[in-house]
Amino acid sequence: MNGWILAATVLLAGGAGTALWGVATGPLSRRVVAQNLSTSVVCASLLLLAQGYDRTAYVDLGLLLAVLGPVGTLVFARLLAEDLTDDRAAAWGLTWTTVGVDAAVVVALCVAAGPGRAMVKLLVVGALLIGGNLVASRALSGGFQGVRGG
Amino acid sequence: MTGRTALAAAAELLAWWVALALLWLVFISTVDTLERIVGASVAAIGALVARAGRRAVTWR
Repeated sequence: MNGWILAATVLLAGGAGTALWGVATGPLSRRVVAQNLSTSVVCASLLLLAQGYDRTAYVDLGLLLAVLGPVGTLVFARLLAEDLTDDRAAAWGLTWTTVGVDAAVVVALCVAAGPGRAMVKLLVVGALLIGGNLVASRALSGGFQGVRGG
Repeated sequence: MTGRTALAAAAELLAWWVALALLWLVFISTVDTLERIVGASVAAIGALVARAGRRAVTWR
């Protein structure tokens, strides 16, 4: 076991465990927030594991999750819009915390990868992950009420 | 379609194609001729779809 795998294990046990607990218990607004943030935690763990096992193909899993995770949350935000009007699912403190964790993970991996295509790929994954997380969080907290054609 | 709108459409398709082809080159593991041909082809299809999608959401 090296430091990358250790970091991924800590992130999975602490973050994904907490997210699973949040999804399984409590009111609806807490469940959708936990579901949304689980993407950020698991994706960062996958990126760390890719580096820890030295298998760059695993980064593709992180890329897939970074794209599909926020899309899944947007589907939930759309389907549960009526239930979430009274009970706003806003958790900006948690959102920005996971954004900070994701940014730290991506920066650390970029430093390890060094300049090159691998680094650009990591930056694209990180941008998709953080951007998607912020958009999905805003959708859950009712930030897109006036969207055109929505 | 006037000459001006045709030029704008071509410029938009080219911009999408360049962006998508660059993304392909970043995401693949080994860069060789076959990957470049496949990347250019799928980026062309992707550019058409991206422009259609962009037009669908901007009501034009």
